[in-house]
Amino acid sequence: MTPGTILEVRRLKKIFVQRRGWFSRLSGGERLIPAVDDVSFYIKEKETLGLVGESGCGKTTVARTILGLTPATSGSILFEGEEITALPPEGLRALRSRMQMIFQDLDAALNPKMRVRDLLSEAITVHHRLTDAEVERKTAELLDQVNLKASKLPSFPDELSGGEKRRVGIARALAVGARFLVADEPTSALDVSIQAQVVNLLLDLQKRLGLSYLFISHDLRVVELVSHKVAVMYMGMIVEIGLSESIAHAPRHPYTRILWSSLVERQNDEASRQAPGSAAGSWGVFDFERPAAGCRFAPRCPVYEAKGRPAVCTDPASAPRLTAAGAAHQVACHFPLS
Amino acid sequence: MSDSPLLKIENLKTYFFSKGRQAFTRSVDGVDLEIRRGETLGIVGESGSGKSVTALSVMGLVGAAPGVIAGRIGLKTETLQKNLLQDLDDYVELSCADGRVVEVRKDVVGWQKHLERLMGKVRGKVIAMIFQNPKSSLNPFLSVGRQITEAIRLHTPYKSEAAGRERALYWLDRVRMDSPRLRFDNHPRALSGGMCQRAMVAMALSCEPSFLIADEPTTGLDATIQSKIADLQAELKADLGITTMLISHDIGLIRRLSDSVAVMYSGMVVEYGPARRVLAAGQESRHPYTAALLASVPDERHIRGKERLPAISGDVPDAIHLPKGCRFYGRCSRVTAAIESECAELLPPLSDIEPGHAVRCWLFEGSWRDA
Repeated sequence: MTPGTILEVRRLKKIFVQRRGWFSRLSGGERLIPAVDDVSFYIKEKETLGLVGESGCGKTTVARTILGLTPATSGSILFEGEEITALPPEGLRALRSRMQMIFQDLDAALNPKMRVRDLLSEAITVHHRLTDAEVERKTAELLDQVNLKASKLPSFPDELSGGEKRRVGIARALAVGARFLVADEPTSALDVSIQAQVVNLLLDLQKRLGLSYLFISHDLRVVELVSHKVAVMYMGMIVEIGLSESIAHAPRHPYTRILWSSLVERQNDEASRQAPGSAAGSWGVFDFERPAAGCRFAPRCPVYEAKGRPAVCTDPASAPRLTAAGAAHQVACHFPLS
Repeated sequence: MSDSPLLKIENLKTYFFSKGRQAFTRSVDGVDLEIRRGETLGIVGESGSGKSVTALSVMGLVGAAPGVIAGRIGLKTETLQKNLLQDLDDYVELSCADGRVVEVRKDVVGWQKHLERLMGKVRGKVIAMIFQNPKSSLNPFLSVGRQITEAIRLHTPYKSEAAGRERALYWLDRVRMDSPRLRFDNHPRALSGGMCQRAMVAMALSCEPSFLIADEPTTGLDATIQSKIADLQAELKADLGITTMLISHDIGLIRRLSDSVAVMYSGMVVEYGPARRVLAAGQESRHPYTAALLASVPDERHIRGKERLPAISGDVPDAIHLPKGCRFYGRCSRVTAAIESECAELLPPLSDIEPGHAVRCWLFEGSWRDA
């Protein structure tokens, strides 16, 4: 593990088993769902890795496995140099004082019957035994860190707006003293104006407290803005990883290119430059998925079509692996774009 | 194409009485809008600004809840002309004490029956709606094909089972559903979010309505699918020329599909005008809220420089205790000393700053007429 790396994930696999009926094990009715398939990446201190991909591609499963909320099937996860995939419950408890998750669902993540004051003091005292005065002081500090007014302390979660609920969630993650945060869709379900507040808060906290983030989102613009590096997932695998600028503006994998070109905003810009119905249409996207042998993206891939469906793409023996493609850039494709 | 508007909303007020707090939640508070034939009107605004409630009021879906609705919604098609809110007030009785409403008595059954009389022939047939969440808006127990066929047989001349089915297949194909014959017998759970949304669009269009309301048609879908649904809407707009009210908080989508735009804030329209004027980049003469909303969308410069976004501080005002003056006053960054007293005390009117472009702000009040 290189110095300065806070988290390293090596060849992580998570296979869910779907059983149909009681005797499925005997009758062979089990279905294996490889939600995360051979994923490797690392995150440096004070940096943000963005994780993007369509729903169902395994983004959230990666996050849950890192936090030990779901056991990994195989592979290893090193956090600050320590192997954390097979930690006993006490070890996990200690670990979670150093890494925390900001959950996607605002309403499910906060207990509706607890006031903001209790939500925060619970998080403050869960790992440390503190006097009331210290809890008071720490609460005030947290409120200041997330720009929440002290007048909100006696409120229940359903009296808060979306942005305030999000702040309380972030404050709870900070309360235990976590240095590494997994943010699962922290801005989805928020309005643009509130989204900007949350993005600014995350950026500020990173600067002030030296936090590292794994930032999961399907809002590509926000990911590009907050992340230093971006990993693109497709059906359980990372198909491309690199600096956020190169992922957004010089993608090598056809899927990445489709993802970014599908931004409605960018299409507006292109449409204003080009005549309608011109070449941009050929990079269209598809809204159905058929997994394939070999490269999983082949059935939707425009390059595969353009090259006359080369056999190497669908050969099960030669699934593309992540290979270096320039500085700090890796791509898993037989015919990477230039 | 005649110039008289297809739908004219005048001073629409939709309030919900909150028993616990003994006051009205003023979800929609005096909205005036016009939609001309063949036009797409985009409505943008934060959640809680009253976009969806406006749409539900037009559809007559503000029903059994203790909702009070006032104003006029005039609908005028070739064959039909009526006020969708005709005499609805008769079913509501307010009792006041000390100038405050203490109780709302509503003849819910009568209201519902009257609303059905008004809307029965309109809803689905003349005005169709695409809802926000396609998966939960479709019936999970019926195949999508059957749901569309049912709508077609109910509202169009294709009355027989076979003709209805044929027509449903035509519409599924029309919305570019992948292999429509195969998908016809699928239940919603077997379809992806994008396909469900296509089925919803097919169902809404299958009755050949004059007017379509699309409430957040792309929210909650993946980016790739969002752009596909936006493509579909653009294509249908070009081909069918259907009059649409498009509600979204995605400014990119509104900019792409709309002819005119209404920006809503706290139950009111704060800016209304042609889309290219209201949502154009770098324009001075617009409502501070619209400007702030546009600025908080991450643009190339902020993304490249990893800069902080210009956020709007604070939150949308509580719809019960609305401020006396301008509703954006508490969050506005452009209040000047000259107009501050007006901003705090008086609600600005929605007035033209140029022909067809109106803004509700004291900054621009009188500027056009004086100039």
